[in-house]
Amino acid sequence: MADRLTQLQDAADQLAQQFVASLYYVHKHHDYALLSPTDRLVTKNGGNTAQADDDIDPKPADVFKAGQRELAQDLILKEQEIEYLISQLPGLENSEKDQEQLIKQLEEELKAAEVERKEAVKEKEAVLAKLESVIRSVKRP
Amino acid sequence: MEQPQDAPALATAFPAPPPFWQSFTKENLERLKELRAVQTPPSKDYDAAKELPLRILDLPPELRLLQPPDQPADGKYRLYGDIYDLKTPLGSLQEQNVEQLYTPPGSPSGGSKAENFDRAFILKKLAKSLLLNFLELVGIMAVNPGQDPNAPPPPDGQERHLHAYEEKIGDLQTIFLNFHHLLNEYRPHQARESLILMMQDQLEKSKAETQGIREMKEKVEGILEGLSQAKLAEAVEMNGKGDQDDLDGQDVWAELEKEFD
Repeated sequence: MADRLTQLQDAADQLAQQFVASLYYVHKHHDYALLSPTDRLVTKNGGNTAQADDDIDPKPADVFKAGQRELAQDLILKEQEIEYLISQLPGLENSEKDQEQLIKQLEEELKAAEVERKEAVKEKEAVLAKLESVIRSVKRP
Repeated sequence: MEQPQDAPALATAFPAPPPFWQSFTKENLERLKELRAVQTPPSKDYDAAKELPLRILDLPPELRLLQPPDQPADGKYRLYGDIYDLKTPLGSLQEQNVEQLYTPPGSPSGGSKAENFDRAFILKKLAKSLLLNFLELVGIMAVNPGQDPNAPPPPDGQERHLHAYEEKIGDLQTIFLNFHHLLNEYRPHQARESLILMMQDQLEKSKAETQGIREMKEKVEGILEGLSQAKLAEAVEMNGKGDQDDLDGQDVWAELEKEFD
């Protein structure tokens, strides 16, 4: 999983793509409107070359509406995702100084922990040696 | 093993990864580790922070690529055919001729707490602006993409009048660029934050290990103590054991006799 910043940037890019996709959908699948009673629809083969280039594929009104609705929902969802990611950005509450202090402190704690760990290992080895000598002394007689 | 170099690779957005990623198998990594362990003088403490792992020269060819190359000596590296400098700072928006939509938050991720909250706040505002501007763009496109009826007339005709939709798209682009720029400025901060998390993890692991060792030690000590006590008890028992056995034996015989009588 990518880090949050990358996720956020990806989400922003996706939002941009969704913008384009939404416009494209509306552009491609809208139905024609009659602006006055005397209008009539010209089909592609009807000789209107400008529209033949556009290659518009009208969808039935209900399908078109549903498509619009879905795209709009997706946009809102993506927006909410972005806002959620923003609120989840790591370390919003820390300033750079805080971070440096924390890092130094952790470094020292790590050193101390390492010393302690080495001590523990030594003690463990001593105890093991003792155990071994006991086991040997039991076996021998 | 080699993948045939196929033509569609030219059409992808990013080039395929170099073929040596396939040598990064578990077995190969394990082997390299062993080789390293053999070559590293055991007395010397290896400090990962100060030096790269020892470079072994006579490796089998399939392992040779597992060793990281030296850092670029002159600070330049090549990525997707372009040459970059390691130390290139992030250019400001002004340098890239992009309008900065937020009040400059000073040095990135530096300064006070409030600033970072500001950053999140600005980001959220930008995200909302994106949606709003898109809505406006759709409105413009739906009614009249050519001209913005509310736009003031161009002053003295000095500028080419932009179509309304072009303006809106430009706005959207500016907002996106601002958004990305803010996030990029935030990256060093996140890097430090990740470092802190990793250190905390390591600290916890180290502590857990120490704890585990201590517990083991105590257990062994307990066993030893138990043993020595048991031995004492055994020694004491040994003295009186012979009699007891005899007694037990007699009891059994006595019981048996009672049964058969």
